[in-house]
Amino acid sequence: MRGFVRVGGHYVAEMDAVERQILAGAFADTATLLGSPLDGGPAIPAGQADGAGDGDLFALLDWSAEPVEEPQDPALLRLLPSASADDAALASEFRRLTEASLRREKVAHLRLVWRTLRRPPGPLAVARADAPAWAAALTDVRLVLADRLGIESDEDADRVHDEVAGGVDGREDDDDAEVRAALAALYSALTWLQESLVQAMLVDVGTAGPDGPGGDLRH
Amino acid sequence: MPAVASATQTEHEARQDATPQTADPWVTIVWNDPVNLMSYVSYVFQAYFGYAREQAETLMMQVHREGRAVVSTGPLEKMEADVAAMHAYGLWATLATSGGTA
Repeated sequence: MRGFVRVGGHYVAEMDAVERQILAGAFADTATLLGSPLDGGPAIPAGQADGAGDGDLFALLDWSAEPVEEPQDPALLRLLPSASADDAALASEFRRLTEASLRREKVAHLRLVWRTLRRPPGPLAVARADAPAWAAALTDVRLVLADRLGIESDEDADRVHDEVAGGVDGREDDDDAEVRAALAALYSALTWLQESLVQAMLVDVGTAGPDGPGGDLRH
Repeated sequence: MPAVASATQTEHEARQDATPQTADPWVTIVWNDPVNLMSYVSYVFQAYFGYAREQAETLMMQVHREGRAVVSTGPLEKMEADVAAMHAYGLWATLATSGGTA
């Protein structure tokens, strides 16, 4: 794998077929956690709600008429956080009005990356306009992996990177240790990949590009 | 997120009509987490809020060292949009009244 570098109006990385497949799986898993599997049936046209294929009109709404419960899974809760630390009513109302659209936005980012990773081999070119969605999707996948790895502090994160650098720390017949080593390696690789992308994006932030000023998520 | 914005706006207009000019300003707080890269947090503060690099890095370091930072101030409706945007970027953000203890 080679990290992102700026090439014209694109950020370009290189990774082989196996690396792409592993990464694509991680992005797909995160979309599934958000309730919208990426490979479950025919492609949904752009602009239509993800996961709304059952004909339920309410699934197409951006907001819910009923209260929406906080996710039980701590990883999902981190993707869809509470908007208030001390005002439960405010947090509940915010979630009712915004959670569905936040889920759709995150799944759209994940799908964009997933589709690019599933293209035929060759340099992996991300258009400048797509880079914010890539960086956000990389964050979301890393947030989920970090929860699964028990990363709760900067020291925990450093320890995971050290584990990867030092090789598998555990017996080869220990399934849990193997799974943890694989997750840690994936987390470390995604961290490195995101850092390379963001460093390239920081060179361009605030300057007008071919696709408009800034190119942030909400233009 | 146009549909949400319009639904939110309607409710807040009603709220503001009931209590004109008494609403406290609100703040958006971004909290530290062990996953988000310092570079990415600085990028988000520049790209979304339009902060200059130096100001974005100062705020980012405040989040990193003190655990949180107020990144924007204004009416509730605007702060809700800012918090929703931070969540879309993957940052951990909350709303609070500017006089609150948060």
